[in-house]
Amino acid sequence: MNKPALATTTAPAGSAPARNPGFGLKLDHVKGAFSRYKILALVLAVAVIWALFWQLTDGDFLTARNFSNLLRQMSITGMLASGMVFVIVLGEIDLSIGSLLGLLGGIAAILDVTYQLPLPLTLLVVMLLGIAAGMFNGFWVAYLGIPSFIVTLAGMLVFRGILLGITGGVTISPASAPLVAIGQSYLPDIIGYVLAAGVLALLVFVSVQARGRRQHHALEVPPLWLDGLKLFAAAAAIGGFVYAVDSYRGVPTPVLVLLVLLGVFTLMARRTVFGRRIYAIGGNLEATRLSGVNVQRIKLLVFALMGLMAALAGITTTARLAAGSPSAGSLQELDAIASCVIGGTSLRGGSGTVFGALIGALIMASLDNGMSMLSVDTFWQMIVKGVILLLAVWLDIATSVKR
Amino acid sequence: MSEYLLEMRRIIKEFSGVRALNGIDLAVKPGECVGLCGENGAGKSTMMKVLSAVYPYGTWQGEILWDGHELRASGVRETEDAGIVIIHQELMLVPQLSVAENIFLGREPKTRSGLIDFDAMIARATALLNDLRMPNINAAKPVSNYAGGEQQLIEIAKALSKNARLLILDEPTSSLTRREIDVLLDLVRDLKRRGTACVYISHKLDEIEAISDSVTVIRDGAFVGSAPMAQLTQADIIRMMVGREMNNLFPREQHEIGEVVFEARNFTVWDLENRQRKRVDDISFAIRRGEIVGIAGLVGAGRTELVSAIFGAWRGTSEGTVWLGGKQLRIRAPSDAVRAGICMVPEDRKAHGIVPQMGVGQNMTMAVLDSFAPGGLINEAAEMNAIGRDIARMRIKTASPILPISNLSGGNQQKAVIAKMLAPAPKVLILDEPTRGVDVGAKYEIYKLIFALARTGTAVIMVSSEMPEVLGISDRVLVIGEGELRGNFVNDGLTQEQVLSAAILPAHSHAAE
Repeated sequence: MNKPALATTTAPAGSAPARNPGFGLKLDHVKGAFSRYKILALVLAVAVIWALFWQLTDGDFLTARNFSNLLRQMSITGMLASGMVFVIVLGEIDLSIGSLLGLLGGIAAILDVTYQLPLPLTLLVVMLLGIAAGMFNGFWVAYLGIPSFIVTLAGMLVFRGILLGITGGVTISPASAPLVAIGQSYLPDIIGYVLAAGVLALLVFVSVQARGRRQHHALEVPPLWLDGLKLFAAAAAIGGFVYAVDSYRGVPTPVLVLLVLLGVFTLMARRTVFGRRIYAIGGNLEATRLSGVNVQRIKLLVFALMGLMAALAGITTTARLAAGSPSAGSLQELDAIASCVIGGTSLRGGSGTVFGALIGALIMASLDNGMSMLSVDTFWQMIVKGVILLLAVWLDIATSVKR
Repeated sequence: MSEYLLEMRRIIKEFSGVRALNGIDLAVKPGECVGLCGENGAGKSTMMKVLSAVYPYGTWQGEILWDGHELRASGVRETEDAGIVIIHQELMLVPQLSVAENIFLGREPKTRSGLIDFDAMIARATALLNDLRMPNINAAKPVSNYAGGEQQLIEIAKALSKNARLLILDEPTSSLTRREIDVLLDLVRDLKRRGTACVYISHKLDEIEAISDSVTVIRDGAFVGSAPMAQLTQADIIRMMVGREMNNLFPREQHEIGEVVFEARNFTVWDLENRQRKRVDDISFAIRRGEIVGIAGLVGAGRTELVSAIFGAWRGTSEGTVWLGGKQLRIRAPSDAVRAGICMVPEDRKAHGIVPQMGVGQNMTMAVLDSFAPGGLINEAAEMNAIGRDIARMRIKTASPILPISNLSGGNQQKAVIAKMLAPAPKVLILDEPTRGVDVGAKYEIYKLIFALARTGTAVIMVSSEMPEVLGISDRVLVIGEGELRGNFVNDGLTQEQVLSAAILPAHSHAAE
């Protein structure tokens, strides 16, 4: 009789599966640690990539000048990625933003060059148009139930088509000096240091406050040395960053915009109703809907936000090139999606951070920049980026602990 | 040898220590039709999964004799080869493929070069369909051309093409119209004459009476009895099906019942796929302040569809008006219902109740998050305080409020989901199977909570498939059968037989009494 066997299986209810317990548990621990410290792993990946290029370029890769360039290169992808994170967390996708970036950048150029509107008005019009285009996408997805893949694939064609129509397929230049400054200027050194000090003070304040709150609610408080270490690491990173860019020409303006976005969006994701709803919908849409949340409105707003980010990226692109190009932003949507995914955003929805996406963008930009410096052929660059993307997703799936 | 084609003896099946089947016998003679009856969760489907080796030999105890020899099948393929074919409640056809392709799916006749021999396939399928007297079905046309009833017949043709000697029909008529049912029953009679045996599982006792030679009844995983149909009446079968022990699980408490607060008028709900079919047919009811109304009925009767439609959550078409405090509400989405003061705890906790990777606390505040966030920024201290209070009040056992909710036991998850829907302080709370998959201790606490809510004047609607629960908790019981309201009883000495009779027997047979 196998009665006794049955009795033993009933006893430890909820423990690990019986088969091969030793090995399975160990592997799960490794996997759990990996997915918990994903951000750390990403930072490590950046370090490895930089060390590799530093070695291969005899140190040219990590000069202040190149570092500053690298950051400026990643800023446009970063802007798109920080909006795309929320679209993907929601469980949707937006393929239209590359074209939308081009279209809005083109409109900015036309308003600036052809109509010579004052810069603030140009910016306002372009951003409103970006929000409107995003809402157009969002309306089809949220209220008419068309899959976002299809809606934004259509948008990809339509927006590019409009751009070619209004520019007649030619580059519009030269952009005015104030507009160009958005993409090409640098902040004075002293502002960089002041900002760094401000951010650091804010981090210390938030950390102390969080400790107090957790203590008050009898939650597990992380050891003081761990928080101290985190703050020290942050201080070193921020200080090193400002020192590096200041020893070239200062913080590039688009990078400042990106850092502001990082702060605002991180706050939005963690502390606002809107942010919480996005993650809830991505985690379980039906449960969120049945909790009385207006799911459709949240979706509409996330796409609107994505449109606004495309507007910022479009303006920055035009400013950087000092011209509106009909091919601007081609395939940028794929770079943005790849950045999010490399940065740990799950395409199943429900999880992902802006910080991770920006690290992803940094990895992509580092690969581009480093391989260009090494004069690697473009075809190899594409192959390498494709392989890295595939590996990143595989690693994510292989290390996710099954629920 | 044996006079039986199939004998299942003392079958025991456990799921992580819980006995789903506790020594059940079932015997079928060649050409015989055995009706298998039992309440929701009695173990009928588990029994058939043991027989068809969905649960392979070795995962259960007891023995199965097939043609007098012991059957030790390790998978469905083996039992099918032996001639045991099961037809599931949900149809398993590929709608885009032709009838013939469906019938021979996975066993397509091949030409010598290895391609599918479509001519042979269609010819064989047509011969089979003619033989079964289904000349109206064209083997070359896609399955999606045919309605639910004809698809069910195609399933049977598919089963017979596998040379079935024993056909298991699991609730085959639950989605069919009356005429389609008659055609199906005729076919089963015809098969019996040719020597094919069948096990017919159904809640519909008139069908059981019409075609079964004998009836086996099981209850709570235990064998109750088996007798020739000729010696039984429908009332006998119902008596055998119920009779579960009532125990002291229900902490009944006195509470005051006030004026009518909620009314649902003329609710009709249509099926998502079969647009002609009504899942709920013109149901109206009212509830008073502090009243607990149980909605009883068999699985598939339309109870969940009814409450989903009231809550604005039904994805398909529905009709009907909701009145709260004498005013008509306009509910187009769950958000409208919650704002008006109607909350619902859904039936399927995992799919509709929780956001698994989010924390217990964040799940609990989902419906009232705005109240902690003037201006959109969440006041985490205030939110944490509210979460702490609710965790203590609901006695949710969790290591921490920020632990992902998927780490909790079923009972604690359910308590958290209930806490979520109580947070907006609803006037009407709908609970759809609130104790499904919940341990006894948590059940007891949920019952206490329901009474506590009723005392504060909340009107509670509880859909439940557990008869003792319905009778132990409710002030009034609505019985729904096949989408119709078949009973509205004050729970005063109400018996399980009364409720089950109302659920099973069509309304016209009441009128005849």
